[in-house]
Amino acid sequence: MIKVTIKCFSQVKYAFGKDELNLELETGTSTLELENIIREKAKGKLDTVSLRIALNQKYIPIQTELKDGDEVAFIPPVQGG
Amino acid sequence: MTKIEIVNGPIGFFSNDNSRQQDGAELVFNGHVRATEYREKITALEYEQYEGMAKTELTKLSEDTVKKFFIHDLFCKHRIGRVDVGETSLHVVIWSKHRKEGLDAMTWFISELKKRVPIWKWAILNDGTRIPSECSHE
Repeated sequence: MIKVTIKCFSQVKYAFGKDELNLELETGTSTLELENIIREKAKGKLDTVSLRIALNQKYIPIQTELKDGDEVAFIPPVQGG
Repeated sequence: MTKIEIVNGPIGFFSNDNSRQQDGAELVFNGHVRATEYREKITALEYEQYEGMAKTELTKLSEDTVKKFFIHDLFCKHRIGRVDVGETSLHVVIWSKHRKEGLDAMTWFISELKKRVPIWKWAILNDGTRIPSECSHE
Protein backbone atom coordinates (compact mmCIF):
# COMPACT_ATOMS: atom_id res chain seq x y z
CA MET A 1 0.00 0.00 0.00
CA ILE A 2 1.04 3.63 -0.53
CA LYS A 3 -0.14 6.89 1.02
CA VAL A 4 -0.74 10.00 -1.11
CA THR A 5 -1.94 13.51 -0.37
CA ILE A 6 -4.45 15.15 -2.68
CA LYS A 7 -4.49 18.94 -2.67
CA CYS A 8 -7.97 20.33 -3.37
CA PHE A 9 -8.68 23.64 -5.10
CA SER A 10 -11.70 25.44 -6.52
CA GLN A 11 -14.39 22.99 -7.64
CA VAL A 12 -12.52 20.02 -6.16
CA LYS A 13 -12.39 21.76 -2.78
CA TYR A 14 -16.07 22.69 -3.16
CA ALA A 15 -16.98 19.08 -3.93
CA PHE A 16 -15.21 17.64 -0.88
CA GLY A 17 -15.36 20.60 1.53
CA LYS A 18 -11.69 20.03 2.38
CA ASP A 19 -8.28 21.51 1.53
CA GLU A 20 -6.71 18.09 1.18
CA LEU A 21 -7.45 14.39 1.26
CA ASN A 22 -5.11 11.67 2.49
CA LEU A 23 -5.67 8.32 0.83
CA GLU A 24 -4.16 4.88 1.12
CA LEU A 25 -3.98 3.15 -2.25
CA GLU A 26 -2.89 -0.15 -3.71
CA THR A 27 0.77 -0.15 -4.75
CA GLY A 28 0.92 0.44 -8.51
CA THR A 29 -2.10 2.77 -8.64
CA SER A 30 -1.77 5.27 -11.50
CA THR A 31 -2.75 8.93 -11.62
CA LEU A 32 -5.57 8.05 -14.01
CA GLU A 33 -6.93 5.40 -11.64
CA LEU A 34 -6.74 7.94 -8.80
CA GLU A 35 -8.66 10.45 -10.89
CA ASN A 36 -11.41 7.85 -11.35
CA ILE A 37 -11.46 7.22 -7.59
CA ILE A 38 -11.71 10.96 -6.89
CA ARG A 39 -14.51 11.47 -9.42
CA GLU A 40 -16.42 8.54 -7.89
CA LYS A 41 -15.95 9.91 -4.36
CA ALA A 42 -17.28 13.30 -5.53
CA LYS A 43 -20.62 11.62 -6.37
CA GLY A 44 -21.26 13.47 -9.60
CA LYS A 45 -20.07 16.91 -8.46
CA LEU A 46 -17.03 16.78 -10.76
CA ASP A 47 -18.67 15.07 -13.74
CA THR A 48 -18.62 18.20 -15.90
CA VAL A 49 -15.29 19.54 -14.65
CA SER A 50 -12.17 18.96 -16.75
CA LEU A 51 -9.16 18.18 -14.59
CA ARG A 52 -5.43 18.38 -15.32
CA ILE A 53 -3.08 16.45 -13.08
CA ALA A 54 -0.15 17.91 -11.18
CA LEU A 55 2.20 15.45 -9.52
CA ASN A 56 4.50 16.91 -6.86
CA GLN A 57 3.66 20.42 -8.13
CA LYS A 58 4.36 19.74 -11.82
CA TYR A 59 1.87 19.21 -14.63
CA ILE A 60 2.18 15.73 -16.09
CA PRO A 61 1.04 15.00 -19.64
CA ILE A 62 0.55 11.23 -19.29
CA GLN A 63 -0.55 8.85 -16.60
CA THR A 64 2.12 7.89 -14.11
CA GLU A 65 2.41 5.28 -11.40
CA LEU A 66 2.09 6.87 -7.98
CA LYS A 67 4.69 6.46 -5.26
CA ASP A 68 4.41 6.54 -1.49
CA GLY A 69 4.34 10.16 -0.25
CA ASP A 70 3.32 11.72 -3.57
CA GLU A 71 1.39 15.00 -3.62
CA VAL A 72 -1.30 15.08 -6.27
CA ALA A 73 -3.57 17.91 -7.38
CA PHE A 74 -6.45 17.58 -9.83
CA ILE A 75 -6.41 21.02 -11.38
CA PRO A 76 -9.77 22.46 -12.53
CA PRO A 77 -9.63 25.15 -15.27
CA VAL A 78 -7.48 27.94 -13.86
CA GLN A 79 -8.76 31.51 -13.54
CA GLY A 80 -5.93 33.88 -12.73
CA GLY A 81 -5.91 37.49 -13.82
CA MET B 1 14.84 40.21 -16.67
CA THR B 2 11.67 39.09 -14.98
CA LYS B 3 10.25 39.88 -11.56
CA ILE B 4 7.29 37.97 -10.13
CA GLU B 5 5.40 38.51 -6.92
CA ILE B 6 2.28 36.85 -5.55
CA VAL B 7 0.93 39.14 -2.85
CA ASN B 8 -1.76 38.79 -0.22
CA GLY B 9 -2.96 42.38 0.12
CA PRO B 10 -3.20 45.52 -2.02
CA ILE B 11 -0.81 45.66 -4.97
CA GLY B 12 1.86 48.36 -4.92
CA PHE B 13 2.54 49.25 -8.55
CA PHE B 14 6.00 49.04 -10.07
CA SER B 15 7.36 52.55 -10.40
CA ASN B 16 7.79 54.37 -13.67
CA ASP B 17 11.40 54.17 -14.86
CA ASN B 18 12.81 57.10 -16.85
CA SER B 19 16.36 55.76 -16.87
CA ARG B 20 15.69 53.20 -19.63
CA GLN B 21 17.39 54.48 -22.75
CA GLN B 22 16.96 51.33 -24.88
CA ASP B 23 13.22 50.87 -24.34
CA GLY B 24 10.84 52.82 -26.56
CA ALA B 25 7.78 51.18 -25.03
CA GLU B 26 6.60 50.71 -21.46
CA LEU B 27 3.31 48.82 -21.32
CA VAL B 28 1.22 48.60 -18.16
CA PHE B 29 -1.76 46.29 -17.67
CA ASN B 30 -3.94 46.35 -14.56
CA GLY B 31 -6.69 43.76 -14.17
CA HIS B 32 -9.59 44.78 -11.92
CA VAL B 33 -12.42 42.89 -10.24
CA ARG B 34 -15.76 43.48 -11.98
CA ALA B 35 -19.03 43.94 -10.08
CA THR B 36 -20.68 40.96 -11.77
CA GLU B 37 -19.63 37.38 -12.24
CA TYR B 38 -21.77 35.29 -14.56
CA ARG B 39 -24.57 37.87 -14.25
CA GLU B 40 -24.53 37.60 -10.43
CA LYS B 41 -23.68 40.72 -8.46
CA ILE B 42 -20.65 40.19 -6.24
CA THR B 43 -18.90 42.16 -3.53
CA ALA B 44 -15.46 40.65 -4.06
CA LEU B 45 -13.45 37.82 -5.54
CA GLU B 46 -11.24 35.64 -3.41
CA TYR B 47 -8.18 34.37 -5.27
CA GLU B 48 -6.83 30.98 -4.28
CA GLN B 49 -3.41 29.70 -5.34
CA TYR B 50 -1.61 26.37 -5.35
CA GLU B 51 1.19 27.66 -3.17
CA GLY B 52 4.61 26.96 -4.66
CA MET B 53 3.39 25.76 -8.03
CA ALA B 54 1.65 29.07 -8.85
CA LYS B 55 4.89 31.04 -8.37
CA THR B 56 6.90 28.44 -10.29
CA GLU B 57 4.49 28.47 -13.25
CA LEU B 58 4.25 32.26 -13.29
CA THR B 59 8.04 32.56 -13.26
CA LYS B 60 8.40 30.02 -16.10
CA LEU B 61 5.72 31.81 -18.11
CA SER B 62 7.46 35.18 -17.68
CA GLU B 63 10.77 33.75 -18.82
CA ASP B 64 9.07 32.07 -21.82
CA THR B 65 7.46 35.40 -22.75
CA VAL B 66 10.74 37.34 -22.64
CA LYS B 67 12.41 34.75 -24.89
CA LYS B 68 9.51 34.38 -27.33
CA PHE B 69 8.92 38.09 -28.00
CA PHE B 70 12.41 39.60 -27.56
CA ILE B 71 11.20 42.06 -24.96
CA HIS B 72 13.65 43.36 -22.36
CA ASP B 73 11.84 43.01 -19.04
CA LEU B 74 8.55 41.72 -17.66
CA PHE B 75 7.42 42.46 -14.11
CA CYS B 76 4.21 40.95 -12.71
CA LYS B 77 2.31 41.05 -9.43
CA HIS B 78 -0.72 38.82 -8.86
CA ARG B 79 -2.87 39.27 -5.82
CA ILE B 80 -4.38 36.41 -3.81
CA GLY B 81 -6.95 36.45 -1.01
CA ARG B 82 -9.97 38.76 -0.99
CA VAL B 83 -10.01 41.48 -3.66
CA ASP B 84 -12.98 43.86 -3.50
CA VAL B 85 -14.86 45.01 -6.60
CA GLY B 86 -12.86 47.69 -8.43
CA GLU B 87 -9.51 46.76 -6.90
CA THR B 88 -6.50 45.55 -8.88
CA SER B 89 -5.88 41.82 -8.96
CA LEU B 90 -3.13 41.71 -11.60
CA HIS B 91 -0.40 44.23 -12.49
CA VAL B 92 1.98 43.63 -15.40
CA VAL B 93 4.63 45.92 -16.87
CA ILE B 94 6.59 45.13 -20.02
CA TRP B 95 9.50 47.12 -21.44
CA SER B 96 10.54 46.63 -25.07
CA LYS B 97 12.41 48.41 -27.84
CA HIS B 98 9.25 48.87 -29.95
CA ARG B 99 5.56 48.80 -29.04
CA LYS B 100 4.57 45.87 -31.28
CA GLU B 101 6.59 43.17 -29.55
CA GLY B 102 5.50 44.58 -26.19
CA LEU B 103 1.80 44.53 -27.09
CA ASP B 104 2.05 41.01 -28.55
CA ALA B 105 3.94 39.82 -25.48
CA MET B 106 1.36 41.32 -23.11
CA THR B 107 -1.54 39.65 -24.93
CA TRP B 108 0.19 36.26 -25.00
CA PHE B 109 1.38 36.45 -21.39
CA ILE B 110 -2.09 37.17 -19.98
CA SER B 111 -3.72 34.59 -22.22
CA GLU B 112 -1.25 31.88 -21.11
CA LEU B 113 -1.55 32.93 -17.46
CA LYS B 114 -5.25 32.09 -17.72
CA LYS B 115 -4.41 28.62 -19.04
CA ARG B 116 -1.54 27.40 -16.91
CA VAL B 117 -0.99 29.26 -13.64
CA PRO B 118 -2.84 27.45 -10.83
CA ILE B 119 -4.83 30.34 -9.41
CA TRP B 120 -8.62 30.28 -9.02
CA LYS B 121 -11.39 32.70 -8.15
CA TRP B 122 -14.17 32.31 -5.61
CA ALA B 123 -17.07 34.72 -6.00
CA ILE B 124 -18.31 36.41 -2.83
CA LEU B 125 -21.97 37.17 -3.49
CA ASN B 126 -23.91 40.06 -1.96
CA ASP B 127 -25.48 37.73 0.63
CA GLY B 128 -22.02 36.54 1.71
CA THR B 129 -22.19 33.17 -0.04
CA ARG B 130 -18.80 31.97 -1.32
CA ILE B 131 -18.81 29.85 -4.49
CA PRO B 132 -16.16 28.80 -7.01
CA SER B 133 -16.27 31.14 -9.99
CA GLU B 134 -17.31 29.51 -13.24
CA CYS B 135 -15.45 32.09 -15.26
CA SER B 136 -12.44 30.68 -17.15
CA HIS B 137 -10.79 31.54 -20.44
CA GLU B 138 -9.15 28.35 -21.68
